[in-house]
Amino acid sequence: MSAPGKSQLTGAAMAVILLIVLVQVYLFETVLGAVLDGQRRALPGAFFVSLALSAVALVLAFAVQGRNGRG
Amino acid sequence: MPGWKSLFPVDLAEEGRLSRREFARFLAVVSAGFTVGIGLLWERKRPLAGAPAAAAPQGPRPDAVKICRVSDLAPGNSFLFTYRDDRDRCILIHTQQGEWRAYRQTCTHLGCAVRWDGRKLECPCHNGAFEVEQGFPVQGPPTRPLSRLALELDPDGWVRVTGDLPKPGTLQEGAPS
Repeated sequence: MSAPGKSQLTGAAMAVILLIVLVQVYLFETVLGAVLDGQRRALPGAFFVSLALSAVALVLAFAVQGRNGRG
Repeated sequence: MPGWKSLFPVDLAEEGRLSRREFARFLAVVSAGFTVGIGLLWERKRPLAGAPAAAAPQGPRPDAVKICRVSDLAPGNSFLFTYRDDRDRCILIHTQQGEWRAYRQTCTHLGCAVRWDGRKLECPCHNGAFEVEQGFPVQGPPTRPLSRLALELDPDGWVRVTGDLPKPGTLQEGAPS
């Protein structure tokens, strides 16, 4: 039995995390452009969407156990 | 095997290896960093306490903000003010033709503050310029017009700004021409 955190993350979980980071980059760039243009109405919505995505990524990376294997 | 290897059983090739989970954790922390960044933007750009709400769609505009008296600004001059937020600087212009215009003072190129030179709005950072009628770029690197604010001239002799800060290139309803 391997120690917690030592199991290998599945490819699907890794793909989801990569996708989340790409969405976060796009979201941040969009929000930054909007703020520079003087728009701030989208900030609360963007924050909560970003928060949800980060929560999913953190759970997948830190909490979900994958297959046992190398580091 | 040398004696020290049994005392320090470290495989240097394995030590430098980054596992998939470690990489995933790094990406998750980066993702959380973006969330913190958006949260900080939200906190910094939140409207000031007591600031009026967005523009009323019809009829009189109770949320209009007094900027200056009509008599205080002679034709050909400008007046700087902040609107909705103490960081959103704007510029009010009384043209030589007697028309009033208000724009966000942020250049649409890289965000420098534009200034009124008597005929056009110029950005000193990269020698950009905007015409005063609609805020369209006429010189230099900017490609988008300035954000134009809607103005009201009320019967009491005040110039008022209404509505929210528009996106660059859009005109809010109610702007006097």
